[in-house]
Amino acid sequence: MEIRSREYPKRAREGGDVRASVTGATLTFDAHRRAAYAGVAAEEWRRWAEGVKTHLLTHLDRYLEEAEERLEANGARVHWAGSQEDVHRILSGIIKRRGARRAVKGKSMLSEELEVNGLLEKRGVDVLETDLGEYILQLLEQPPSHIVGPAIHLSLDEIRRLYHETHGTEPDATPDELAAVSRVILREAFLAADLGITGGNFLVAETGTVALIENEGNIRLTTSAPPVHVALVGIEKLLPRWSDLAVFLQLTARAATGQPVGNYVSMIHGPRTAEDPDGPEEVHVVLVDNGRSDVLADPEAWEALRCVRCGACLNACPVYRQTGGHAYGAVYSGPIGSVLNPGLAGLHAAMPLPFASSLCGACEEACPVRIPIPELLLSWRRRAVEAGMDSRAKAALLKAWTAVATRPGVYRAAGGVLHALPEPVRRVPLPVVGGWREVRADPEPSRTSFRELWREGIE
Amino acid sequence: MREQVLRRVREALRGRPRVPHPGALDTAAPDAPAPVEHFADCFRAAGGEVHRFADADAARGWLHGFAARFESVSHGAGVPASLALPVPEAPPRHAALGVSVARAAAAQSGSLVLSSRDGRRTQLLPPAHVVLVDAATVAATLGEALAACRGDGGSALALHSGPSKSADIGQVMVTGVHGPGRVTAVLLDDWPGP
Repeated sequence: MEIRSREYPKRAREGGDVRASVTGATLTFDAHRRAAYAGVAAEEWRRWAEGVKTHLLTHLDRYLEEAEERLEANGARVHWAGSQEDVHRILSGIIKRRGARRAVKGKSMLSEELEVNGLLEKRGVDVLETDLGEYILQLLEQPPSHIVGPAIHLSLDEIRRLYHETHGTEPDATPDELAAVSRVILREAFLAADLGITGGNFLVAETGTVALIENEGNIRLTTSAPPVHVALVGIEKLLPRWSDLAVFLQLTARAATGQPVGNYVSMIHGPRTAEDPDGPEEVHVVLVDNGRSDVLADPEAWEALRCVRCGACLNACPVYRQTGGHAYGAVYSGPIGSVLNPGLAGLHAAMPLPFASSLCGACEEACPVRIPIPELLLSWRRRAVEAGMDSRAKAALLKAWTAVATRPGVYRAAGGVLHALPEPVRRVPLPVVGGWREVRADPEPSRTSFRELWREGIE
Repeated sequence: MREQVLRRVREALRGRPRVPHPGALDTAAPDAPAPVEHFADCFRAAGGEVHRFADADAARGWLHGFAARFESVSHGAGVPASLALPVPEAPPRHAALGVSVARAAAAQSGSLVLSSRDGRRTQLLPPAHVVLVDAATVAATLGEALAACRGDGGSALALHSGPSKSADIGQVMVTGVHGPGRVTAVLLDDWPGP
């Protein structure tokens, strides 16, 4: 997984052109999520879901073995991948054996993390993203900017222009017309594909069932029409029991889009059986570690592995709403990305993402599995400072502040000096907050300090 | 590689307290309407259509009238002969209408549970989809509906909870993107034999 988070501060400031689209979409998602939580006993559901995922993670070895056993009993083939290279080797083997030339893909963040499209192209496989948003991004050669709404940073006009240039539609075509054009192209692709590739929202160990949530039907078709289906599943995506699935499906949908459940849910036990009129001849499930066992070993960061990739924390985050996902420079953006990326790719590679938050706590309140994201951000910040990865100027400034603030005499003297400064000196231009100060009046310092007021007795 | 991943997981968990499973969560709402009515409300709210009849004889007239607007139909493997539509049969990719049988339904989430045994292409490829539902199989919660389907044969189950939709183009809702743009649940209180 390539991370280009170093440019975060610059890219975040450049995000002005996506702000209207991103802010609008995230505010809508977040309002729907709030309404959907209010419709059920959300607190109870979230605590329960946290408990199930914590149980799963603390028994992960056992459930991985159970899932493998059940999937194989269902006729699916199970592969284990420690790294991206392993996944590429497994996929190359399937492509070669099947002589696959055409692939369709359902939206999968894990496939982005594993750079699957690049591999397919290298192996001479034509691959089409079939989620409408992902299809648009593939035309633009852009990565997704949001876990659930990959193209929310694009306005209708930008998409109209793209389709006008690439598909010859009218410049003022309606969204229905644009969708209809995509439908025709992608329908042909579903029926002609040798290979369908998806991620997996959940993998139920007890029954060996891969569950996938969506709204368009493209994942249903990707897993039903081609003769081979490959599901890439992160090892943290397991659920212990079949009875856990129903609640997780509903909670994830409520958190992500505010729907009672995703419009379509595919629950795949294995390849087509003698009882099925159609469906894939082969189902492969690839269990992917790629850094997850390192995160699991971390006594603090392991809590982030409960994540169900609903995007609720992105929608709730006042920082993400302003910048969109591309600024983060990593597959996983927003608050959850800022705590996952340091664990998956190393803190050094993910700097300065743990600092890209105001710690307001909205992410934790929205999270369906109650991941303490602000606490984890602080944990990564602490480690970054201890390892000397944070800015030296900031460290020096904070050190100076500490030296003043922990010595009452010095603090009082410094306050007196500031108080005595004439107005023009106080108005000295400051970096970063200059624009903010331009339209605001500075507060007038009180004639008497708080300390003096306190001594006199505050009324 | 299997052993390597499992070893890394076991090493990661060394010394970590094992947390017990919290047990099953009952999501049933005490004040919810009766399952069939509740299902109809939720399915309609998601953009689906719902019709309810006493039995196959009562449904037939409406079904035949509905089907007359379509040139061709693809029937799912489990559609009872008494409910088959008098419209030319076509393969799912060319059919104007798909007719399936629900394995179960869930009121709380407004979901039809469909089985791969009935035929996935019929459920997905035609632009309109009629799903026949035995009203006795409508459960209050999704948990109950899925529990009823556990251990079924067939390689896959699916939930369909409304017409295919997307807001990926400029956050404007579009229906019928990949799956059927029109989905109609037809509930029968008295289910006919095969």
